[in-house]
Amino acid sequence: MLDRQNYLKVKLFLKYSRVVHGRSSLQISNDFEHLKALLLWAGSQPLRSAHAFNTSLSDFLFQNIEKRLDQAELQSILNTNQRFLLWVKAMFPVEFQNIRLSWIMKISAISEGKEVII
Amino acid sequence: MSENQNTSNCRISRNVLIKAPGLLPMLYTPREIAEDLDVPETTLRDWLNHGAPHSRDESNHIWIDGKQFSTWVESQRNAKKKPTHPLQAGESFCMRCNAIVKIQNSEIRPVKGHLSHLKGKCPICGGIVNRGIWNAGSAELPQG
Repeated sequence: MLDRQNYLKVKLFLKYSRVVHGRSSLQISNDFEHLKALLLWAGSQPLRSAHAFNTSLSDFLFQNIEKRLDQAELQSILNTNQRFLLWVKAMFPVEFQNIRLSWIMKISAISEGKEVII
Repeated sequence: MSENQNTSNCRISRNVLIKAPGLLPMLYTPREIAEDLDVPETTLRDWLNHGAPHSRDESNHIWIDGKQFSTWVESQRNAKKKPTHPLQAGESFCMRCNAIVKIQNSEIRPVKGHLSHLKGKCPICGGIVNRGIWNAGSAELPQG
């Protein structure tokens, strides 16, 4: 079972994106699909300890997503997740104090040597 | 504790059939799952009354497991499919009787290549029944 608090934070982020940034429903739907990868990656663990997870998000996407992703799609997923983590750190600074900005900025980089289908 | 009050089939929209497999393996409230599937919450509660899997906690709040729910939606989709009955050798569909019948007095006429036309009479109404068959002279021919 996934952590419900993670899911609720994702929903809050999507609402914020719609209300504050004026993102369209299609963009919101795409963002949610991208953030599902983050929720599956976190599993039952809270996102505040994401920096301590064994596998990186990009490695998880390579290993566990059945649908084969091209480089642009993968980069898009990682960028959305980075945006979410930056937002969540800004909105919940105490809860996410252990997650460093430098770690978040590195999340969108695809690991070296990974095979990408173009 | 799971509650299944009524197990009749529900009318599930195409939109829900597409979105349900994307539900996550976690417990949802009815409102959350209704939002994710883009259906009114009343519709979802109606599905719960018609056997959609859910559970209640000690505070009597309803919780729905996303994966179980998507399996249920898939089962509803399959329940809507009518059982098929492939035509056996010597059988055809009579348009008058609206049923599968054994062809009587059948005759085969080649059409083109392996395709042949099987024509005969319906044993019930006596009307003409037709059937296209792939390879004349094989098992498609009725015995006798």
